[in-house]
Amino acid sequence: MKTVANLSDYKSTTRGTGSPSSIILAVGGGKGGVGKSFLSTNIGIFLANMGFNTIIVDCDLGAPNVHTCLGEAPPKLNFHQFLSGRLENFEAAAVATQFAKLRFIAGGNDHQELANITIHDQSRLMSAIYTLNADFTILDLSAGTHTSTLDFFLMADRHLITLTPDPTSIENAYRFMKAAFFRRIKRFERQLGLEALVASIMAEPEKNEIRVPADLLSRILKENPEAGRELEKFMHHLRFELVINQTRSTKDVQLANSVSTVSKKYFGLPAGVLGHLDYDNAVWHALRKRRPLILEFPNSPLYAQILAIARDLASPHLKKAVI
Amino acid sequence: MRGEDEAMQMREGARAAMAGKTFDQNFYDLLEIPRNAAHHEIVAAYQRAKEAYSPDSPALYTMFSKEEATELRRLIDEAFMVLGNQTKRREYDNILLAREGRSETERPPAQPAPTPSVSPAPNIPAPANTNAPLPEGFARSRLSVYEIRADMEHEIANQKNFDGPFLRKVRQYKGIHVDQMSKETRISRSYIVAVEAEDFDALPAPVFVRGFIIQIARILALDENRVANSYMTRLNVKES
Repeated sequence: MKTVANLSDYKSTTRGTGSPSSIILAVGGGKGGVGKSFLSTNIGIFLANMGFNTIIVDCDLGAPNVHTCLGEAPPKLNFHQFLSGRLENFEAAAVATQFAKLRFIAGGNDHQELANITIHDQSRLMSAIYTLNADFTILDLSAGTHTSTLDFFLMADRHLITLTPDPTSIENAYRFMKAAFFRRIKRFERQLGLEALVASIMAEPEKNEIRVPADLLSRILKENPEAGRELEKFMHHLRFELVINQTRSTKDVQLANSVSTVSKKYFGLPAGVLGHLDYDNAVWHALRKRRPLILEFPNSPLYAQILAIARDLASPHLKKAVI
Repeated sequence: MRGEDEAMQMREGARAAMAGKTFDQNFYDLLEIPRNAAHHEIVAAYQRAKEAYSPDSPALYTMFSKEEATELRRLIDEAFMVLGNQTKRREYDNILLAREGRSETERPPAQPAPTPSVSPAPNIPAPANTNAPLPEGFARSRLSVYEIRADMEHEIANQKNFDGPFLRKVRQYKGIHVDQMSKETRISRSYIVAVEAEDFDALPAPVFVRGFIIQIARILALDENRVANSYMTRLNVKES
């Protein structure tokens, strides 16, 4: 029985020209150690198990470790071969894993300069990711709000944000969302001829009553309704989907709803809660053994929680029975 | 008792609806609910907002300053005080609609105009089943008190073709809300709406529809047999 839907009719409108050949999921979050790699690899495993061809791309250029999370040895093939021109085809860098239909592209482990990627290399990389031949491409991003990280994040169709209930993590998640928000405005302001307007508004935020980013959008809309509406359309594609990790109580789970409410108000953009993952020592044990959690501890409650998230991501693309 | 300044506040809220600023949103946007949200949705939204903006909420940290958070909490309480109260909500809706109509005449209202409500004017006694004497020019239906209009009374008396839109017209004239009708007759709201819209596909078998019509006609104080015969004839014609 084949569950995979026909994906060719799925069109992304997030980028100006053409549509990506796969559905791109970006997993970001600002802070390190909140479970970005854990989430990306596990979502990848579940999507592959559902029958989707999935490629995980380790976009954490400076400190890659997707291979460890997947329980694989660092592969010989990685980004670097592609960027240095030794590999023609980016997809050739995708190596198979122990899971059928799941491949991953590792970040370079040995190259000094890879973390500081040039603009040129970055755009090469992005268009290569854009044309990867798969059903799902998962981008495991690095911590922080470096522009290259933000660009990878913004090129995706689904924007996942991982955070833990700690104040530091929440703070960084907000910082990351804010940076992504303004990066996105920057990306489209020239295209829509709004550069001067945005600059003049932001020069005097107090006078223009810009208290939160949402105000900026409504202000632009007021000053230049036509381009403003276009911009609003582009901005609304930036829908943050929160995954709250390491929850220890229901209060922690509710926190995700609060973060979503607050960020909706703050950015004026839709934000949702994709799911939560309980704190579980099994993760730590599995990582010690360098084995994926679902192989080492298939009875962990996390199994169902990750499955729920993966299903949610896949559901628009699953073939449904018509009764 | 509704004070003068409260009415003022509500007008303020409505004014803000047009401004589109985060701290000046209308009460619906503030609670992030649609205009036609049900009461329980409003309560849930209020609780969610309360939780999100509570003083010790980690979710607020670094996003809004202390003063801003206090202001947001005040706005949320205010929003709930109005939207959580049926009468005040209706008044607020009217103010909002009036505002929008004035400032953006070219745009149709975001949603169908609300069914004229049961809200009685302040000087009319509200409950329908008390025996208190009515002011001159008012009459009582089983569920409401309404102002008698000669033209409508004439139209009802001479009506031969009782179709869905006419039933709606009579119901609105008598100031009965769909929800009230639904509660009293125990016919689901969607069926009542479908009857009035003559959406026959959404209705059950004719024998049930006849029962609905009879009940609705009784509430509207119309001749139930005449109404039912007229409506069922229409339905049969449309069906075949």
